[in-house]
Amino acid sequence: MVDVDRCIGIGQCELLEPTVFRLDDETAISRVADGATMDRARAAEVVDGCPSMAISILED
Amino acid sequence: MTAIDIASPSLYLDGIPHERFTEIRETEGLTWHPYGDSGFWAVTRHADVREVSRTPEIFSSAIGHTNLWDLEADALEARRSLIDSDAPDHTRLRRVVSRVFTPRATRSWEDTARQIAAELVDAFVARGGGDWVELVAAPLPIRVILAILGVPAVDADYLVELTNHLVEGTGDRPTLPDDAYGNTTPTRLLPFNSPASHALYEYAGRMRKLRLAEPADDLMTGLVTAEADGEGLTTAEYRNFFQLLVFAGNETTRTAMVHGGMAFAEFGDQWAAVVDDPSMVATAVDEVIRWATPVLHMRRTASRDTVLAGTPIAAGDKVVMWYAAANRDPAVFEDPFRFDVARADNPHFAFGGGGPHFCLGAFLARMEIQVLLEEMAHRGIHLEQRSEPVRVASNFVHGVEFVEMGVGVPA
Repeated sequence: MVDVDRCIGIGQCELLEPTVFRLDDETAISRVADGATMDRARAAEVVDGCPSMAISILED
Repeated sequence: MTAIDIASPSLYLDGIPHERFTEIRETEGLTWHPYGDSGFWAVTRHADVREVSRTPEIFSSAIGHTNLWDLEADALEARRSLIDSDAPDHTRLRRVVSRVFTPRATRSWEDTARQIAAELVDAFVARGGGDWVELVAAPLPIRVILAILGVPAVDADYLVELTNHLVEGTGDRPTLPDDAYGNTTPTRLLPFNSPASHALYEYAGRMRKLRLAEPADDLMTGLVTAEADGEGLTTAEYRNFFQLLVFAGNETTRTAMVHGGMAFAEFGDQWAAVVDDPSMVATAVDEVIRWATPVLHMRRTASRDTVLAGTPIAAGDKVVMWYAAANRDPAVFEDPFRFDVARADNPHFAFGGGGPHFCLGAFLARMEIQVLLEEMAHRGIHLEQRSEPVRVASNFVHGVEFVEMGVGVPA
């Protein structure tokens, strides 16, 4: 999930996983697509890749 | 131990003092460097820069200043921008512009950038080379950022002149009289202590009037609207934002292109690899940026007592992240002093070490360098360095004022 207070719209998540993350056209705040999932290792990479540390993993 | 001097601007006239940084990086803990009335902690290892960058609650951007010298409270307030603020102010400011600089939004400017790059490269080839800074590296980024802002392209040269003066403001030799450009504000209240900032403020004021009268689909209109509605930006924030975007949107990328050009001239095999296989541009772009490290450091200030790299740090201490050193850390980069366009694992900190201040224009800079390399590669040309670079006396930016390049064309 994306912490909307921390997200500053850098867009690294969308670049890494465009089918999972989408930045809002107006606010540039990232949002996870409904029902989207990723394997744990890849999710950890995306979490680490977010410069503003706004992404955290929700377990199934 | 004897202090190693890394803050003296004139030291950088010979390039980044990498030997000194290596010595500091290999010293256990952190080293303290006298500066002004006090000093600063030098953070030079990749892992430590990352920790400082990603712990903004402790390592503040809003206290003191993000440059080495402290500012008095009124000066700090007058000059405050995205760079020297913490959440929640930083988040509010960043959101005014963030949607314009996302990877997706940035790609929409690729055709514009490519057209400008092609025009500049063709002209450079036609005249048989010349000053790589003035003819290619400077005009490309300023024209792109002005297009995004919606600022008339005819003013590019004037704005480059002003931002060149800002860079001089980080050195130890003032070049402009305080009243240059009709300035009447005490220079300590102006970004980079430079009267050129006054001229940028005036320019921002003129753009504000223009866009209030006639809004357009551009970033200037976004900034003006955010100021005018009284909810987004204060007047000071508006003009500091303009100043920052014009400065950071051209000076840094220019510097990367200058050092990239010099590296490709020096290491001809690396350029040949790109020409042979243009898909190499993908990794070459970040290697150029790592190699160049256009911004040498940023400072944070400890908001409370803490420990970094086993070294106790007191509240109020200056903590300076030397990206130039972290980007040569052998713990992260294999053979760090080798310019390697195939370097695949390249987590450089030329855009900062992560955290909320991650470079706003990172994807724009990458795109501009990418199109420049592609336009050069598919013409099959190569650069031949014909002069020593004239470097800027600054410990803050890795600037080059002039470097003569010849151009070789395919037979």
